[in-house]
Amino acid sequence: MSVAELKARHVAATETVNSLRERLQQKRLLLLDTDVVAVAGYAKAHGKSSVSFGATDLVCCRTLQGHTGKVYSLDWTPEKNRIVSASQDGRLIVWNALTSQKTHAIKLPCAWVMTCAFSPTGQFVACGGLDSVCSIFNLNSPSDKDGNLPESKMLSGHKGYVSSCQYVPDEDTHLITSSGDHTCVLWDITTGLRTSVFGGEFQSGHTADVLSVSINGSNSRMFVSGSCDSTARLWDTRVASRAVRTFHGHEGDVNTVKFFPDGNRFGTGSDDGTCRLFDIRTGHQLQEYYQQHSDDEVRHVTSIAFSISGRLLFAGYSNGDCYVWDTLLAQCIAGKIWPLFLKGNGKCTHMPFWLF
Amino acid sequence: MQNGFVLRVAGFSTAVFTIITTIIITMHKESYRVVATAKSGCSSSVPSLPPPCPKSPPEYPDLYGKRREMAKVQMLEREIGFLEEELKSVDSLQPASRCCKEVTEFVVANPDPLMPTNRKNRRSCRFWKWLCGIPCFNFSWICCCCYSGCSLRIHLPRCCDCNCNCDPCDLCNCCSCIRCPAPNWRCCSCRSCCPFPCSCSCCCPCSCSCPCSCSCPRSSCCRNISCCSDCCTCGFPSCPDCSCCRCSFPECSCCTWLCCCPRWTFSAPKCPKSPKCPEVRLCSNCTKTCCNPCCLFF
Repeated sequence: MSVAELKARHVAATETVNSLRERLQQKRLLLLDTDVVAVAGYAKAHGKSSVSFGATDLVCCRTLQGHTGKVYSLDWTPEKNRIVSASQDGRLIVWNALTSQKTHAIKLPCAWVMTCAFSPTGQFVACGGLDSVCSIFNLNSPSDKDGNLPESKMLSGHKGYVSSCQYVPDEDTHLITSSGDHTCVLWDITTGLRTSVFGGEFQSGHTADVLSVSINGSNSRMFVSGSCDSTARLWDTRVASRAVRTFHGHEGDVNTVKFFPDGNRFGTGSDDGTCRLFDIRTGHQLQEYYQQHSDDEVRHVTSIAFSISGRLLFAGYSNGDCYVWDTLLAQCIAGKIWPLFLKGNGKCTHMPFWLF
Repeated sequence: MQNGFVLRVAGFSTAVFTIITTIIITMHKESYRVVATAKSGCSSSVPSLPPPCPKSPPEYPDLYGKRREMAKVQMLEREIGFLEEELKSVDSLQPASRCCKEVTEFVVANPDPLMPTNRKNRRSCRFWKWLCGIPCFNFSWICCCCYSGCSLRIHLPRCCDCNCNCDPCDLCNCCSCIRCPAPNWRCCSCRSCCPFPCSCSCCCPCSCSCPCSCSCPRSSCCRNISCCSDCCTCGFPSCPDCSCCRCSFPECSCCTWLCCCPRWTFSAPKCPKSPKCPEVRLCSNCTKTCCNPCCLFF
């Protein structure tokens, strides 16, 4: 077959794909038997009352000071007693969450760190950034002669920056990274090799930088990713060739994704200023969380977190604001509080050290 | 005389050469004639062979371009298959209302420590609500202190028209509620303080004009609040005016939150997408840690 014939087939196939996507969207619209504010409409119709916070209901209980640069990421241990934070000052700091003391200050080979994560056992921390490498540190290993903790593993293979990383639950030997090279990768940390690559040039996946991943706590074989292509995608780690489902709706980069506590839904935050709730089994968009501001400036959503019941959605914005949303009624119940990060049991909130 | 001799010698040599060449050509013709005679059986004249010419290079197929195009087509055809499967499965999906029901039931069924509880006696809350609801109640600081434990939302009286923090409790006077982080800062009218990012929880210099001079050559006061500090190096993450950054790689542009890409990568990495660089507030005589990072450098 000649190149010209192939190009003609390419054009025809593209038209077919677009047509099928249109038909799929139409069919999905028929399944939206609620109005646009789906969950809120249902909750109101069933008499759910709104949440209101008093002055002392949500207060800062700790301020962890020590970083000298912007903190871009942090993560809790599963035991909920330690925090690791990554900062542009080129350090990872491990904190005792109860006493605020620092247990480790790890100097990074690359200061341009964008993400960090604790392993399920709490023995390792992982970080990644503009060096396109995910570095693993063993917190129990001795420091070198300069007093620095050496890297125990370097996971190389991405062709772009590492934007996000998360350990597979209950497995210290596997983690998933997202990258500016449009892919997510499942790593075997023991060998340092890539077990699976999700997306990429010749596979069906994201078509732009991937910015965030979140692994399903109820089924660790499933994870979602958010990307600059304005979509979120659901992946099965056993099938790397294509995403299980693609979630459209956002009108800007999807900066953050997080699974809902029940494992069947997930939330997203985007440059379009909205947070959305999607159902993974059906692909439906169940709710949108957006607040119009008087100055009409669109505030990008940079991070989100759900409380343990899923009733509260905490959303951080590019202007430094943090809003608390009632996920059932889609109401903003607290606004302009400092960014918060929730423990897994939702018991304590910490004010981070956001420096500009 | 000598020239004549040379000419006669040259002429003799040329004649000899011509005779020899003629003999050679004649011999070749004879051999061709013999060959032609052998083939045709007659002694007619044989056409001469075409002059030799170099062979043109073989035409190599554009394998790379063709294979790439084929891979794209195969990917699209695979996508078509996936979409057709998904279209068939959509009919069996449950409607959105069922999903909403599941979400609501899950949320209601699970306790949440962050959800507020009504700890105070409802009767006392009603009293404070009545008291603090009186317009221009002069002892509104009492409301701040005493009803803060109530989970009911109580609005401050209108005469205190500022964003008072009730912790620590103080007279509900706009400026006394606010603790300025710097000694030379004072409250301006809480409403008309400097606009974002200044808020009533952090005093701004009462003059909203930019008090500092910018070290970046092309930076300017940002929204009359501040101007950039000497942030135009890759060592600092925040740069309000990214036009003063210089990137070592042409692919890296300013207006990323890191301004430039690092130098140590051998191939130019792609700069991450970013929001606009946040503005830095310059804090000249700040002696306390505040929300302004420059305080840390004093």
